Amino acid sequence: MSASVHGGASAEPNLTPILDMVFQLITFFMLVVNFKAAAMDLDLKLPVVGSARPVDTQGETDLLILNINAEGKVRVYGQVVDDVSAYIATEAQASLLSAQVKNPGLKYGDEIPSTVVIRADRSIPFSLLNGVISTCQKHGFHRFALKAMNKTEE
Amino acid sequence: MRKRKSRGHEEVELNVTAMLDMAFQLLAFFVLTFKPSPVEGQLSLRMPVAQPITKVEAGQKAGSDQNNLNPAQGLNTLVITALANPDGEIKQLAVGDSSMGTPEALSRKLAEVLGDPTFGFDQVVIQVDSRLRYERLMEVIDVCTRQKLPSGEQLSKLSFVELPAQ
Repeated sequence: MSASVHGGASAEPNLTPILDMVFQLITFFMLVVNFKAAAMDLDLKLPVVGSARPVDTQGETDLLILNINAEGKVRVYGQVVDDVSAYIATEAQASLLSAQVKNPGLKYGDEIPSTVVIRADRSIPFSLLNGVISTCQKHGFHRFALKAMNKTEE
Repeated sequence: MRKRKSRGHEEVELNVTAMLDMAFQLLAFFVLTFKPSPVEGQLSLRMPVAQPITKVEAGQKAGSDQNNLNPAQGLNTLVITALANPDGEIKQLAVGDSSMGTPEALSRKLAEVLGDPTFGFDQVVIQVDSRLRYERLMEVIDVCTRQKLPSGEQLSKLSFVELPAQ
């Protein structure tokens, strides 16, 4: 706080620090503001599970992410996959090859040390989901991460 | 903020009050509209293919071992059943032969069963009605993954079997 004297006594608070602080706060809130349309896939509504843990890949980077929409169609990078079995088979081969770099003894049919991340719509029946899971299991994927929101969206 | 010119005695004063007012308005707006968005989490599971409850080894065949010298080994299996109504909602849940209606009751029953240190399971199989909605299935999985095994580990190894719609 600074005070200057022009003839009579006048006190002028230095507003610069408070302005700085306010701008910092504005910046924070602007950055964390939720632009739903941009960040979320609106036609995919994940189930809500209280105990869903934040994503922890534990250093593992080999993930196969499958989005399953309400019609049971599998989408990857926004594209609908027509032949799910062929796609998963290809991914299993790729994962196996990359895993063989670390573990040369790994062969086709062994458990692949990759995680299948399933982001499925909350309304799909189990039969559609099980079709995808079974296909993954058939190709050696046994680790799964089922995505869910930790609370309901308002 | 105040700038003092060295030449002469002119003073240029920037009035920051208006800017501060505006900044507070913006701040109030962002504070009031701030709503932490739900965080996308996950349930990590190991899901091996469900094994037959009786494990048939090589060389074992029905009727071939009259003296039962090489008996088929049984797999201790905890079977959880989730039946659905036509809307895909939970109609009935069961652990083995005992039925219940809600995930909370399932949780209590599972805690009782898994809390028994004398009984070990080789696998936990969830039989799921093909019509059960994923949302409801996740409630059942959630209940299961919250359970602790007698070893103290969290139950995370589950197998699924699809039951045809009844």
